[in-house]
Amino acid sequence: MIDGVQVIDFHGHVGRWDRYGMIDEPARMLHAMDAAGIDRSCVSNIFYPDGTTGNDLTARFVAQHPERFIGFAYVSPLMPERMLPELARAMDSLHFAAIKLYPPYTPWPLNEAQWEPIYRFANARGLAVMFHTGVEPQSLPKFIGEIAPHYPRANFVVGHSGNTPVERGQAIAAAQAHPNVYLETCSTFRTPGVIEQLVNEAGADRVLYGSDMPLMDPRPQLGKIITAQVSDAAKRQIVGENARRLLRLG
Amino acid sequence: MDRHGVERAVIYHALTEEVSPIQGNLLLEAWLGADGRLVPQWSVMPTAASLTQVQELHEQRRVSSVRLHDTRVAGLPFRPWAYDPLLAWLSAQRLPVWIPLSSADADELVTTLQGHPDLVTVLVGAHYVHHLQVRPLLAHLPNAHLELSRYEPIGEIEALRDEFGAHRLVYGSWYSQYAMGPMLFYLHHTDLREEELASVCAGNLERIFRRVAS
Repeated sequence: MIDGVQVIDFHGHVGRWDRYGMIDEPARMLHAMDAAGIDRSCVSNIFYPDGTTGNDLTARFVAQHPERFIGFAYVSPLMPERMLPELARAMDSLHFAAIKLYPPYTPWPLNEAQWEPIYRFANARGLAVMFHTGVEPQSLPKFIGEIAPHYPRANFVVGHSGNTPVERGQAIAAAQAHPNVYLETCSTFRTPGVIEQLVNEAGADRVLYGSDMPLMDPRPQLGKIITAQVSDAAKRQIVGENARRLLRLG
Repeated sequence: MDRHGVERAVIYHALTEEVSPIQGNLLLEAWLGADGRLVPQWSVMPTAASLTQVQELHEQRRVSSVRLHDTRVAGLPFRPWAYDPLLAWLSAQRLPVWIPLSSADADELVTTLQGHPDLVTVLVGAHYVHHLQVRPLLAHLPNAHLELSRYEPIGEIEALRDEFGAHRLVYGSWYSQYAMGPMLFYLHHTDLREEELASVCAGNLERIFRRVAS
């Protein structure tokens, strides 16, 4: 907790990617979170296209420390018949809080019909959907600007805020155009002035702290927010208040 | 630097990364103020013209470290037959060399640097894609240090401290490519002891630079 604000990391993972040092050991993750005052981390497992296998792993992981981790559901249009039943199971039985999508693992850009059942599900339930975004042709943030107005009860979170300058411009434009678009901050690129740009151009109420833990340590990614030249009120929104509102946390 | 409490910074000219170490070094001069807060790092490649430029700067006692220009992209590998004369001179002058990992080959680093056991190196720009290389490089190159500006695998700063010692780690920001504050925030939220933190943030570089003067 920082200055009375519950700090929520909106972008985390379950699963191992050993060659890059991504190790989902709870103790290692909790150590990093505790050292910087991060209260809770949202996690998903994106490595299994059936959804079920990874979501079960996420549920078991969260169950070890339910007060610290929040599960997000993952499904893929690579197995379209599994998407809606698995989303319903993840929300109703596993009690996950939102949906994570990873378009680079599919051939389809985010604005194609293969993804629409997921958006309809999220809209019907008023859920948040977080996307990986970046330079990949499937993952361009401009697609979220196309999707968002058609699903006004859902909220769409642009993971990495597009990651690189051109795509970041698309992400900001989507957030400016649609009140249900949010910008998440984690990136291996820690370009000076990015947090300031997101706040100044999209609004502090639309920016969410995320880290990509355990692929990346959550501390330098939190440091991006804490050391940015934005107001303390904006920092409180980014590190926790916006996530609490979006996930309807008590 | 003032906003983040950074007193001094080692800087090279960006032109030296992709274009010309010689021209970039000339352009670096304009960035150096009189107060000594910006410490020049001269770039070098294994050609006579580049080495001569750095040797002349060294005769003026203006060299505290050098940075290797990437020649692998142009077909010259970091192999003993290509780099031994340059590395032998640096080693003889007790000049430390910064080596960007983004353009390096781990096998070439170990093979070539092991031929110069007294040469002090700082491996810069390690990213999580270099994760599998970092431990073997530090283990096989006892005079190598790891610069931390891009190194974010979870818990690895503390783990590397435990395995190799804080004296092998060096704070860097990679400003202005990266913001200056996040890595400092990270280092100040690890379980490094105060003296270890001071070493990583300043003492290790001061020790490396003192070696040149001694």
